[in-house]
Amino acid sequence: MSTQFVQALWGGILFGSVYGLMALGLTLVWGAVRLLNLAHGAIFVVGSYVAYWVVSSLNLPILVALPIGVLAAAAFAYLMHLIFIRPVIGKPGFDNSTLIATVGVSIAVSAAAILIFNPEYKVIPPVIGGNFTVSEVQITKQGLLVIGTSLALFGLVYLFLTYTRLGMAIRAVSQQQEAASLMAIPVVRTYGMVIAISGALAGLAGVLLSPFFFLNPNSGFNPMIQALIVTIFGGLGSVRGALVAGFVLGIFESFIEVYYGVAWAQPGVFLLIILMLILRPNGLFGIGEVRRL
Amino acid sequence: MSAQTAATVGLTRPALDLAAAPWRRVSVWTVGGVVAAAIVLPLLLVRLDIGTYLMTLLILFFVQAVVAQSWNLIMGYGGIYSFAQVALFAVGGWTSGVLVHSLGWNPFLAILVSPLVAVVAALGIGLPTLRLRGVYVVLLTLAFHELARVFAVTGPRFISGGGYGLVTVQTFQFGNAIGDQRTIYLYYLAGLIFAIATFVIWRVIHSPLGVAMTALRDSETYAVSRGINQFRVRLVLFAISAFFTGLAGGYSTHYNGGISTTIFDFPRIIDLLAMIVIGGWGTFGGPILGAGLVIGLDQYLVALGDYQTLILGLALAGIAVFAPQGLWPLLRATYEKYLAAEPLPPAVEVSPAAPHDTTDEL
Repeated sequence: MSTQFVQALWGGILFGSVYGLMALGLTLVWGAVRLLNLAHGAIFVVGSYVAYWVVSSLNLPILVALPIGVLAAAAFAYLMHLIFIRPVIGKPGFDNSTLIATVGVSIAVSAAAILIFNPEYKVIPPVIGGNFTVSEVQITKQGLLVIGTSLALFGLVYLFLTYTRLGMAIRAVSQQQEAASLMAIPVVRTYGMVIAISGALAGLAGVLLSPFFFLNPNSGFNPMIQALIVTIFGGLGSVRGALVAGFVLGIFESFIEVYYGVAWAQPGVFLLIILMLILRPNGLFGIGEVRRL
Repeated sequence: MSAQTAATVGLTRPALDLAAAPWRRVSVWTVGGVVAAAIVLPLLLVRLDIGTYLMTLLILFFVQAVVAQSWNLIMGYGGIYSFAQVALFAVGGWTSGVLVHSLGWNPFLAILVSPLVAVVAALGIGLPTLRLRGVYVVLLTLAFHELARVFAVTGPRFISGGGYGLVTVQTFQFGNAIGDQRTIYLYYLAGLIFAIATFVIWRVIHSPLGVAMTALRDSETYAVSRGINQFRVRLVLFAISAFFTGLAGGYSTHYNGGISTTIFDFPRIIDLLAMIVIGGWGTFGGPILGAGLVIGLDQYLVALGDYQTLILGLALAGIAVFAPQGLWPLLRATYEKYLAAEPLPPAVEVSPAAPHDTTDEL
């Protein structure tokens, strides 16, 4: 195998798993709450900055900072739900209000990050250091950890949705909200749980990813856009779709980058998604409007 | 109301007629007065020390208000969650900039081409996206914005100018006018563009097309079942909106003497969104009011730096959730209460408080 090929494949799998992780959170929220969370990138940033703060100011190891960052992201997402999402649930104009509110939250977060820290790039240490080479391509252990975590989380979320009571409640709410509430499922509380879980996933992605990209107040924006593309490519609200589409798009993008140059990566991905929307408007695993998750 | 009175009202039909044609209620005197004031204003302003500054603010207001109104037309009225407005503005700006800079056209001629190119670009985005649901439109228009930015930064040299955009485009020249005199002419030109855009958008909102789009937004299933072609309505609206946005872009290029790639920065989108949301989403006057407020307040809040962005973000989120109608309905209610001779007809503008998603109705 040539160096180029290995490089493209490695990059593709790595970024594919990260896109999948971000997309998983988005797709859960969309499927259950029907909320297009444009603050997902901001939650990613919250998790990373909290972890950065724990590492740099409290001098604690990254293994301690990781769970703190994830919890902070989940708490932030839940707070956003309490203040900006819950008041409009079930009201007309839910789409408009939440769309603008999440955009507003994401601006506020990036401004706050500039004020508290500063616009300079920050570095979070990797959870595990070290690397080895395959065909002259450096494979970092952190990268392997990211891929492993992402796959494990997909598995966990799948098991959670299928076998636990809360998971079943989430699926019920996403399929038929009224019927679910008739079965005594606390719909609004379930919404909050889904948003918190999605926030935790975004925060985890943020902490794990920041050693690769540097951390800055707007660094959540690009992963969020990629995750949106992945979500739509895989089918909105489909967990399986997010996993498959994450890898497909990650590998596709990586191969274009390696063989045709970085400038063509984004146009290529957009072309692919437009093609997809023409051929299969519901995405790879989209199940129309009736069943989700 | 008894059956008899109902029948009489049905026969005389004035209420129905007025509701269908509310533009007849706008007094010629009001509009004429505003236009006359706008024409006389610069002549008074040049006598003030800060007059030139105020005029440039007004020019900024005219340009931004045109873009905000166009955006509101598709987003607030049409229910199309497009984030491509700034990109279309840039398309207009670059078109006219390249025509003048590389081909040596006259700026006045070139800005007539920008809206046309912006419309073509809008049709390019609209054809694949507007058949799809809201989420897809958000994504694909954001994608278009990003692609346009990448192209403007890394494209051929006559477009990217090496990554900075077009920096030395010829500005508008009015004979030999310089200084204040030139600013007055620039003011009139911007005012003219603003007036035309406002009038056309006003007419569109109150035309059958406008009624169709409001119907589609408020109850898609019902509107479609009444024979409204959703795709066509959306595409036409998108084109109209792009037309004026492109025109404003062309004007702004020759007003500033260039167009920078920083136009694509996210804060620009946020400012425009703030104008629409604060002023009143899906109302006619909302974006105009919002543009005035945001531009006016900006002059005072600029010292706050990043706190300003923080406050703006939270305000945006707060208004969207707790007062989704914005400030315009408040103003309108005050006007009706104290100034209008007769009660105004019920507003055609239906804000997000009206029933929206009707999937359960049928």
